[in-house]
Amino acid sequence: MLEIRDLRSAYGRIEVLHGLDLDVQRNEIVCLIGGNGAGKTTLLRAISGVQPVTGGSITFEGQDITGLPAEKRVALGIAQVPEGRQIFGGLTVEDNLNLGGWLNGGGTQKERDDIYALFPILHEKRALQAGGLSGGQQQMLAIGRALMSRPRLLLLDEPSMGLAPVLVEQVFGVIENLQQRGITILLVEQNAAAALAKSNRGFVIETGDITHSGASSDLIGDPKLREAYLGQ
Amino acid sequence: MPELLQFAFSGLTVGAVYALVALGFTLIYNASDVVNFAQGEFVMLGGMATVFLHLAGVPLPMAAALAILITVGVGLALYAFAIDPARGSSAVTIIIITIGASIFLRGVAQVVFDKRFHALPHWFGSDPIRIGGAAILPQSLVVLFGAGLIVALIFLIIDRTLLGRAILATAANRLAARLVGIPVRKIVALSFALSAAIGAVAGILVTPITLTSYDVGTLLALKGFAAAMLGGMGSAVGAVVGGLLLGLAESFGAGLISSKYKDAIAFLIILGVLFVRPQGLFGKRSVERV
Ligand SMILES: Nc1ncnc2c1ncn2[C@@H]1O[C@H](COP(=O)(O)OP(=O)(O)OP(=O)(O)O)[C@@H](O)[C@H]1O
Ligand SMILES: [Mg+2]
Repeated sequence: MLEIRDLRSAYGRIEVLHGLDLDVQRNEIVCLIGGNGAGKTTLLRAISGVQPVTGGSITFEGQDITGLPAEKRVALGIAQVPEGRQIFGGLTVEDNLNLGGWLNGGGTQKERDDIYALFPILHEKRALQAGGLSGGQQQMLAIGRALMSRPRLLLLDEPSMGLAPVLVEQVFGVIENLQQRGITILLVEQNAAAALAKSNRGFVIETGDITHSGASSDLIGDPKLREAYLGQ
Repeated sequence: MPELLQFAFSGLTVGAVYALVALGFTLIYNASDVVNFAQGEFVMLGGMATVFLHLAGVPLPMAAALAILITVGVGLALYAFAIDPARGSSAVTIIIITIGASIFLRGVAQVVFDKRFHALPHWFGSDPIRIGGAAILPQSLVVLFGAGLIVALIFLIIDRTLLGRAILATAANRLAARLVGIPVRKIVALSFALSAAIGAVAGILVTPITLTSYDVGTLLALKGFAAAMLGGMGSAVGAVVGGLLLGLAESFGAGLISSKYKDAIAFLIILGVLFVRPQGLFGKRSVERV
């Protein structure tokens, strides 16, 4: 579904992705783990078209999207739940969802109801300013907003960051639920143990290069990774 | 008493124009963080283009409509050729670009049009209406009514439509806006087009009363900026209130003290706001950019 070949990206003259390869097959949950500053966010932003690439290619469902503007990629079915949630704090919860459906004229009531069924608390707070939500609720809103664009591939950038363990469980539960609905997931996580446990395959990124990849169950067993990322 | 009423009416009339200029500032500032000092030139272009198209034989309503279109074209060109290429530059750089654009537009207007003052006919004649001893030009009512209509329209767009929400979202978080598929550059271009149209309409409405010439934009931009600062940069309500207050302050100042210092009032207001309440009357955000 998604194929990334020899991708390079830089901030100014400093290259931070050094030609990396990664692929995601239809209806998989793939996780991307790596330490601070490894380039995870940069990679997701490059896939969404909000970070310039300096080399390589990104192919989505057979189509080269490397030079496509961000809105065209959303239209093709790539949505992102960005790092730090990035909700529109001054707007209401419902407006945030409607804007998620921007390319579909704001989305339908049924689509909003689907999101509210997934996250009942959002329904309760739908008329309130999104900036007043708790961290966990904002994360749900960010996921709901991304779903409103009817994605086939959902990119999630550290959705568990800063959440209490109960909420982390809930977020991972939602991700599995989305997979069952036929949405393909690329999940970035620092919480490597949880991410590997919930995903089908995994990639490990270190300073802009993919160093390991394989079935998540194999990666969990890899002694070197256990030491570096699982703290064991 | 009739005197005070007179001051109030003329204050509200100019104030309505300042309010429209300030609203233009606000729209662009909100969508892009750009303070567009060429905003006054939009007002000039609206008036001047109508005058010259009319002189060339185009019927007035058509001339006015064409003038608005031309001004919108200039607004879009300003964005595409001057502002957009400087994306990512510092706020100061972009302010200097808009000041440059304003000087450029004035220069072009001087060549394409001329350096004289021009008037347009009053819409409903120039016989004053007497209200409570004050004499009000029918055109003043046209200005007030027209400005009210535009303000209502803009608020409706921002408050009631998805497009308006997208403008606010672009202003609040560009990255997130792009990630949901909002074409942020088109949104910013739209804000320039809207601002240009508002400015042009203001120019067309007020030219019968105040006359116009190639260089009326400079002072109007300053007044509009002062009004926007007073209301709180970024607040649309603030822009309107700020504009009306500035108009009233000028009118009463000129009437009760001396008309010599009329134009200084805007500067005093800018200074006063900066010292006393940098966020303005209705501003929420701190003005760390200024
Ligand atoms: N806006 C920026 N300007 C310059 N350098 C940046 C910028 N954003 C990130 N970087 C650098 O690019 C590299 C990769 O950053 P990135 O944010 O992609 O890492 P990450 O894997 O997402 O890290 P984290 O786990 O902390 O979120 C880092 O060295 C970082 O310092
Ligand atoms: Mg990151």
